[in-house]
Amino acid sequence: MRKAAKIGTWFTFAFVLGMVLVSRSSAQTNTTPDLAVIVNPKNAVDSLSLNDLVKIYRGERQYWKGNLPIVLLFRPPGSYERMIALRVIFQMTESQYKQYWVSKIMRAEATAPPTELFSGGMTKEGVMAIPGAIGCISATDLRPGMKVLHIDGHLPGEANYPLH
Amino acid sequence: MKTSRRISTVFILVAATAVARAQTTEPNQSDVVKALLMRIDKLEQRVAELEASKTTASTGAPAQHHEPQEAQIPSTEGRQSMAAQIHEHDEHPQGGAVAENHFPSLQIRGFGDVDFAATDERGSHSGFNMGQVVLHLASPLSKKVAYFGEVSFTAQPTAYAVDVERSIIRYDHNDYFKLSFGRYHTPINYWNTAFHHGLWLQTTISRPEMIRFGGRFQPVHFFGMLAEGNIPSGSLGLGYEVGLGNGRAGVISRAGDFGDVNNNRAWVARLFARPTGLQGFQFGGAIYKDKISPTPALPGDPTFGEWISSAQLVWAKETPEFISEFANVHHRNNLTGHISDSQAFYAQLAYRLPWQQKKWKPYSRFEYTHIPVTEPLFSLADFRVQDLVGPTVGVRYDITDFAAFKLEYRHTKRGPKDPEVNGVFVQTSFTF
Repeated sequence: MRKAAKIGTWFTFAFVLGMVLVSRSSAQTNTTPDLAVIVNPKNAVDSLSLNDLVKIYRGERQYWKGNLPIVLLFRPPGSYERMIALRVIFQMTESQYKQYWVSKIMRAEATAPPTELFSGGMTKEGVMAIPGAIGCISATDLRPGMKVLHIDGHLPGEANYPLH
Repeated sequence: MKTSRRISTVFILVAATAVARAQTTEPNQSDVVKALLMRIDKLEQRVAELEASKTTASTGAPAQHHEPQEAQIPSTEGRQSMAAQIHEHDEHPQGGAVAENHFPSLQIRGFGDVDFAATDERGSHSGFNMGQVVLHLASPLSKKVAYFGEVSFTAQPTAYAVDVERSIIRYDHNDYFKLSFGRYHTPINYWNTAFHHGLWLQTTISRPEMIRFGGRFQPVHFFGMLAEGNIPSGSLGLGYEVGLGNGRAGVISRAGDFGDVNNNRAWVARLFARPTGLQGFQFGGAIYKDKISPTPALPGDPTFGEWISSAQLVWAKETPEFISEFANVHHRNNLTGHISDSQAFYAQLAYRLPWQQKKWKPYSRFEYTHIPVTEPLFSLADFRVQDLVGPTVGVRYDITDFAAFKLEYRHTKRGPKDPEVNGVFVQTSFTF
């Protein structure tokens, strides 16, 4: 009986160890790219603090310097970019995000929620076409010609970059 | 030893269950969407790579291996020049056309609710009630001009009453100055502007007594003009609202939409802070000044000077949610010089429970309203506002992202001679 108990304990230990190793390896393989914030190349802004980005995406700041209206571009539910933005920028769940914009429009603080575009390419096109646009795309989708903003003084891929 | 064996067995069973559950989870619709979006991204990436290699080949330059890091993060110097030249293959109009605003572009959202009420108040009947059906309209007219409207349909004994709750046209100069004209929810109270007719938006079934529909304690609507905006204040996040309007109508629960009842304009000023580091936190205060000319006229035809001061403290997160407001209404009879101050406050606490997909949200609120017996206006039959002391407790269950079910118990006590009243209320509220 004692032997069986010992085997049980060792089995448990091995199982836990295995689970930890599996979760570690899956965490390593699931390393996801940073979220890059892009604006129209004609936009004079080069960098934003994370707090400023939060204010912009929450619709609390609606104009760039020079009184250019900010046009918010976002990705649809289920996308990687939206998941990161909800967690880091909005600090909301999907339901809270929906309720937030219904509430904001009801209070006459905005006329519409951020425009949802179905791909990184469409986001890029939107940012290129609209002078005041701002969008979030995966850092792997960045291409020459895009204006990437520093967030808290860092670009995607750098240490301490906050959007990942 | 037996105990350790049992623990081991239980642990193994729990872990095995968790693993089995993770393996047998069916892919749901959001997983499919996620997979499709990832596929679109990959295809776009592939197209861009092919286009890049085609361009390189046609210019005769040696094919370069695409270095993601270099492309992802242009150097600070290089970015300026890259910004100036947009590659031809980047100028696809599709995303731009979708994202570009069109004017006007009317959006309509509705709010509705169905209620059940039962109280032990003498003479009251229990039963179902049709709540208000409210249509909210928002339409940008240009990049800097927008229209907001709100129409309500309220069940009456013989028909439905239609009311224009809000009608606002607003010009935005920038974040610091926005000017609008029309009929507003008076920005003297947080609840009044944050939720108003959107019962689905508020956690509870009932509004606080101090700002209830058709209430008289504070003016719920305001007709005139309003300037609003942010105040440069760094992380403090200050904002302001300053309004000038007709003030209360002769019937003090109404705004002076049809015209002012006297030559005195009412004004309101509100200052608030939304600190950047504390998302959801807000505090502020407001003052409101008006001259009231009641209809029907009182003996001697007195007018009343009104000063309302209020304060708000709000934590709009859900774990927990906390809303507290205070208001003092100061009335002066301009004929007799009699002065009176009435106070009201409430504090509401709610918490979104972590279980069952965070659908449950219990809440509690305590309210207090005190009207002095010598109050010159609120004590009159036509303008009566009564004392109130009472707690409210309830629970909200979110059926979907856009509909909720609420159950509420209220215990209220009005004047010293009035009986205590207990009530149970049920509501389903939604937006569409």
